[in-house]
Amino acid sequence: MKTLLPPGSDESRELAKRYGYDQWLVDRFLAYVPEVQEFLAKMERIPTQYIRVNTLKTSPEELQKRLGAKGFVLHPTRLAEVLSVSVSPMSVGATTEYLLGQYYVQDLSSCMAVDALDVKENIQVLDIAAAPGGKTTMIAQKMQNTGSIIALEPSAVRARSMSFNLARCGVSNTCILQHSGEEIGKLGLTFDRVLLDAPCSCEGVIAKDMTRKTSHEPADVEFCSNKQESLIAAAAAAVKPGGVLVYSTCSFAPEENEAVVNSLLQKRTDVSIEPIEFGASGLTEFQGIMFAESMNNTRRLYPHLHDTTGFYIAKLRFD
Amino acid sequence: MIESLKFRELTREELTTLNRALDKWGVFEFFKDKAVVIAEGTPKKVCLISADIRHILLKFEPEYAGLVIGELQKGFAPSLQGADVFASKTKSTKYYVTVNENAVQLVLYGRDLMGDSITLASEELDENQLVIILNPRKEAIGVGRTRFAGKSITQKGRITVTTLADAGSYLRDEG
Repeated sequence: MKTLLPPGSDESRELAKRYGYDQWLVDRFLAYVPEVQEFLAKMERIPTQYIRVNTLKTSPEELQKRLGAKGFVLHPTRLAEVLSVSVSPMSVGATTEYLLGQYYVQDLSSCMAVDALDVKENIQVLDIAAAPGGKTTMIAQKMQNTGSIIALEPSAVRARSMSFNLARCGVSNTCILQHSGEEIGKLGLTFDRVLLDAPCSCEGVIAKDMTRKTSHEPADVEFCSNKQESLIAAAAAAVKPGGVLVYSTCSFAPEENEAVVNSLLQKRTDVSIEPIEFGASGLTEFQGIMFAESMNNTRRLYPHLHDTTGFYIAKLRFD
Repeated sequence: MIESLKFRELTREELTTLNRALDKWGVFEFFKDKAVVIAEGTPKKVCLISADIRHILLKFEPEYAGLVIGELQKGFAPSLQGADVFASKTKSTKYYVTVNENAVQLVLYGRDLMGDSITLASEELDENQLVIILNPRKEAIGVGRTRFAGKSITQKGRITVTTLADAGSYLRDEG
């Protein structure tokens, strides 16, 4: 889908200048991000750090006790296996517990996408664009290493890095295939659950990478949107009847989110959007373009409202 | 491009070698109902897998699969991941040495073990024997090889166990 560019205003010019963004990006934020001033201010602050407990190896209570003894201050979140970190006397990626695979440094938003996948033991799961493996290892722990996970990752470097994470976390039910998502059909397999955390423009992680305030252009959003439309169609073709596809991105752009899901709804009549509890409702309209009413079942996570990285999640059930 | 792995079932001879090793490490019973395959290469790797991915491995030659629990050459040598599984499931103590908290960080930097830092080791251990290195919580932090036998393993002032693999390598190798 072509990137839509709302007209500029004095407000967007002033905000773009104050926070160092390209103006076209702020023009767009004003059209789809609630409470933009608070949002832009939040993006200037260090984001909350989260760790996800690897229940293949320990429990949240036990890990909280161990890291607490080292001076970490951890807090429960909406997900039982995810803890937020308010005080860390050392890097969270350098503790013995981390090296032993007892936890994974992972944002709450990305864990929410796995939570929406509704994984059970002894099922078949496909994880598209899987590296570095945070979501894959979380799926594996929810499955208690039963069933099977096929993780697709086209990049050899990223696949290698992912293999270290799978090993560290003690995952034994997963294999990595060096394929792109569009090649799923060649495998001739179908799955109970498919996770497509699609490559995106990463608007949601600006707080972690400030270069993104000015490093991408409207054409990049369009490029991602087109790629995502072909990926979601391929992913949908791999879901068994009764199965679930979770589509997610770390972008706020409607062209990369609601428009992509809407493109699938227009192609397939056997799919419905299931509600997700946490987050703000997905958009049903953007710049005069209408999306399906059920798009309000999808979820947008905003840093200033939900204390996560910016994220979008849609849970799709197939008849 | 990272190399695809060729997976296959174990031969009868390989299975015998593996079963003997699992018995030695005190995890034969745990592995009785588990699926393992061989990833070809030099050395051959033994991979713990879920039963459901067996047919996928044999059909698609993935870049990586399952959990590599060790290598098979003349005998079986546990990997760090294997050591982790074994330590969490075994009731045996013979081939496991426990170190004090001060030594844990040193092991995670790949350093060898001084006898002073070993708080528990079987007196039945021989020289040149593979051992799994445990922290005080009995979690595997490394794999090593003894330089001495019996009580000499805990002698003061000398390195008595060579560290062959340690959990710190996840950071060093990935970086």
